[in-house]
Amino acid sequence: MASAPAAFLDPAMLARISDLALLARTVVDGFMHGQHRSIRKGSSSDFAEHRSYQPGDDLRRIDWRVFGRTDRFYVKEYEADTNASVTFVLDASGSMDFGSGPLTKFRYGQFLVASLAWLSQQQGDRIGFATFSKDLTDIVPASTRHLQLLLHTLARAKVGGPSQLVLAVDKMSHLTTRSGIVVLVTDCYDSAETIANSVGSLRMRGHDVIVFHLVDVAERDFPYTTAVTFEDAESGARLPLRPEDLRTKYQKLMTEHHAALTKRLTGAGADYVRVFTDQPLDHALHEYLDRRLARSRVR
Amino acid sequence: MGFLLPAFLAAMAALAVPIVLHLRHRDKDRPLRFPSLMFLEQLPIRTAQRRRVTDIPLLVLRALALALIVLAFARPVFSKNETVAKTERARAVVVLVDRSMSMGYGDVWKTAVDSARGVINSIGTGDRVAVVLFDEEAEIVQALTNDKAAAIAALAGAKPGSRGTHFAAALRAAREAVQSAPEATDEAVVITDLQRSGVTGIAGLELPVSLQVRTIAVGSVERGNSAVASVEVRRLIEPTRTMLGVQARVFARELKAERKARITLTLNGRPSGTREVTIPVSGDVPVSFEPILLPAGRVSGSVTLDTDALTVDDTLHFALAGDDGVPVLLVVPGDALVDETLYFERALAVGQAPAIRIEQVRGDQLEGPKLQDAALVVLWDSPMPSGRAGAALTDWVKRGGGLAVIAGRRLAMRGNSNAMPQRSNDTVSSAGNAPAATGLVPAKFVGLADRLSDRGGTLGDVRLDHPLFSPFRDAASALSAVRFLRYPRMEATAGAEVIARFDDGQPAVIDRRETTGRVVVVGMPLDAQSGDFPLQPAYLPLLKRLVLYTSGRDAPKLWRTTGSSWLLPASLKEPAVTIPDGAIVRPPRDTVGSTVALNAAGVYAVYDGKVQGEPADLLAVNAPATESDLTPVDPREMLIGVRQTNDSTRSASDTPTRAETESRQQLWRLLLIAAALLLFTETVFANRGWRGTATRMKAVLPAGSE
Repeated sequence: MASAPAAFLDPAMLARISDLALLARTVVDGFMHGQHRSIRKGSSSDFAEHRSYQPGDDLRRIDWRVFGRTDRFYVKEYEADTNASVTFVLDASGSMDFGSGPLTKFRYGQFLVASLAWLSQQQGDRIGFATFSKDLTDIVPASTRHLQLLLHTLARAKVGGPSQLVLAVDKMSHLTTRSGIVVLVTDCYDSAETIANSVGSLRMRGHDVIVFHLVDVAERDFPYTTAVTFEDAESGARLPLRPEDLRTKYQKLMTEHHAALTKRLTGAGADYVRVFTDQPLDHALHEYLDRRLARSRVR
Repeated sequence: MGFLLPAFLAAMAALAVPIVLHLRHRDKDRPLRFPSLMFLEQLPIRTAQRRRVTDIPLLVLRALALALIVLAFARPVFSKNETVAKTERARAVVVLVDRSMSMGYGDVWKTAVDSARGVINSIGTGDRVAVVLFDEEAEIVQALTNDKAAAIAALAGAKPGSRGTHFAAALRAAREAVQSAPEATDEAVVITDLQRSGVTGIAGLELPVSLQVRTIAVGSVERGNSAVASVEVRRLIEPTRTMLGVQARVFARELKAERKARITLTLNGRPSGTREVTIPVSGDVPVSFEPILLPAGRVSGSVTLDTDALTVDDTLHFALAGDDGVPVLLVVPGDALVDETLYFERALAVGQAPAIRIEQVRGDQLEGPKLQDAALVVLWDSPMPSGRAGAALTDWVKRGGGLAVIAGRRLAMRGNSNAMPQRSNDTVSSAGNAPAATGLVPAKFVGLADRLSDRGGTLGDVRLDHPLFSPFRDAASALSAVRFLRYPRMEATAGAEVIARFDDGQPAVIDRRETTGRVVVVGMPLDAQSGDFPLQPAYLPLLKRLVLYTSGRDAPKLWRTTGSSWLLPASLKEPAVTIPDGAIVRPPRDTVGSTVALNAAGVYAVYDGKVQGEPADLLAVNAPATESDLTPVDPREMLIGVRQTNDSTRSASDTPTRAETESRQQLWRLLLIAAALLLFTETVFANRGWRGTATRMKAVLPAGSE
């Protein structure tokens, strides 16, 4: 799997595209151009593999030729012929409205969701969308025809307010009756244990969960030098600090938090992808496609 | 406070420097938004809070120090009053004691005197005290003095009178009394029963700022009072005699319970009737006496109620002339027809209340006792008499007499043919008249209007609100029905008032007040030859009103209130007046005449020369009816209309000594010392702020955030 041309996936370039639909198509086409094979599996008649007959299997799917040669019952398996349901959940809390570079985390998240949705649409998936801050907002139900609605809603989404990730995930799990893929795009400003518990509840309902953890480089590097008052983007609380004295300790806490997230979310059965907002989108797209392909195989 | 060098105050603009610096510094401290303080709050941190917090106190200290330095260079100086106010000053206390009629209620006066003595005895050694007694007027009975005994002695002869209350007069007297004590702290102590009626006239009163007013209320808690409020008399004409009907009105306020009392009518000192009356708790009750034979001559009387806590208002005096007839002198021209004035005289002769007695005289007979006894002179289409008679008539009118000019074709033609005497004065006086007669008649005659061709003219514009036309307010059509065939054209002179016009706009009746007398010119023909007025129903009531109004007999007063004055009849050569307490007063005569001040309630009698026999006139005087209402006023409400002003005359009268001048300017030293202290504090404070050890602070949620 080769990388897509960087020009189409560079966040600095993408920041100049205002139309999310155009952006998503640009990203996806650029990304797909670099793939060695199409991810399209063809129609539902595409053969995948044989497996032994199990009581309860449809007799019409028994491969009689193999039975004639081996005198054993095998059934044919094909590539998926039903659409998966992919729901994108984007964190729209105040902390996402932060960016030390050309993009804020929220804007990056918009690009990511738009690109993934476009990609999923081309895969034939049903796509849904929701944003959350202190509650779920801007809900678009999953459907194969909702791409434009999703992009429109995504473009109009407002960022701000405190984050209630646990509440949002809990409501999300109640809204989707069919199991599918839940793509959670957030900056994970909560304890790893809390986030893992929420993701675990989604897993319990049969969803596959992919968590994209968006991190700004300033959050990672803490590059501030002069004494300044920090203001919490969500609560508005202020804290006067001398950051140069705290950088090492802060980075240590961040590293520990990231490690905890990796451990806890993986342990909960979710896929955890940390994305830095100065990186091209292809890394995230690759991670998504890998999970999507694993999901698409049905029995 | 002022400044010797106020230009230095412009340096106050330098205050903007630390403020601007502070604001710029604050801009640098604009907070940095960060996604979350979740991790930062977990760190044991060293904050920058200390430096930021100390900025505001430092700003205040620096700005204050700078302001004090600027003020010091501007050399502040205190005015004299402010300087003296800081030091120990002597007091000037004016004790104002209310001696109005209401202070005679129960023990109120005794309490007031005790309070005044208490105030006088309480003043310090260097203080001074003045005593003022007031009712409707104020009298400084003791000017500012250090002698307490003299001040107390000034109260000795005082007692409540029968006059009303006027706080404004008292406060003016206090203002006058403290003029001689510019250095003192002035205080006016008003000892009064705070009667609400006394507040009248206090709005707009100006008092110096230094004069503090304090009231001591001495009014009784029980304010129940009853009084004889008014009396009405009516002559009842019978065939052989004249009876007098008297009705009194008894007034009561805040009585504890209904009160049964006896009310007595006295005429010329003899009891003439008694009635039992039940007085309500609060309200009025009328009492009518049996008609009594009207005594001959002038009559004085009184209505007396059984006394209560306030005795003065339990008696109401009144006086009336024994004969209420109106003597009228009718001046008829020599060429008058025999029955020209027939209707006029017959109409006025009708009726007895009052009886109008007409006497025809010639113009040159208008002088002497005949004129003095008359109430009205009627010039029937005649010019003003010439010579002494004209001067006497003018003088008589100006002293209260009434003159009615009935203008007809003669006066109109004289005006047209320039035959009127003294035409240059626009009057009908004859040539060669004394100057006093000039301009007495307020009309200029310019011709005769002939309305025969259009069946006569009518009255077009009549001022029915004028007293002369009061009988026609509900029957204006009675006047408009009259037809006038010929009438004089008139023009009103300056100061005259046209109170009726014909339908062609010409004046029909002109009225002018002449000092205390009155002149009315009637252009309406009152005979039967130039119109049909004598045949109309409006004729008789209009003539009656003309006589009563012009003679001033339309509203005779039975009594007057205390505080006013009485202009004695000019006919008295040596007037001698007996006042209610029995004393005899011989008032001096001046250009206006002889006048007596009416200070006490009772009956005043005036005699000519010796006090014996029938008095020339009687006058009854009573306290104002408002004085019987003891409703108090809140002291703050009493002073609500008083304006406080700076007394420039007092401050300008003193030249400060050198020491005083120096003491007024010494503030600049204090200001510089204070500025130095502030700057020192700022230095210590600022250094401690930078070097201080910071401690971790908790995040503070701003208002409105969750």
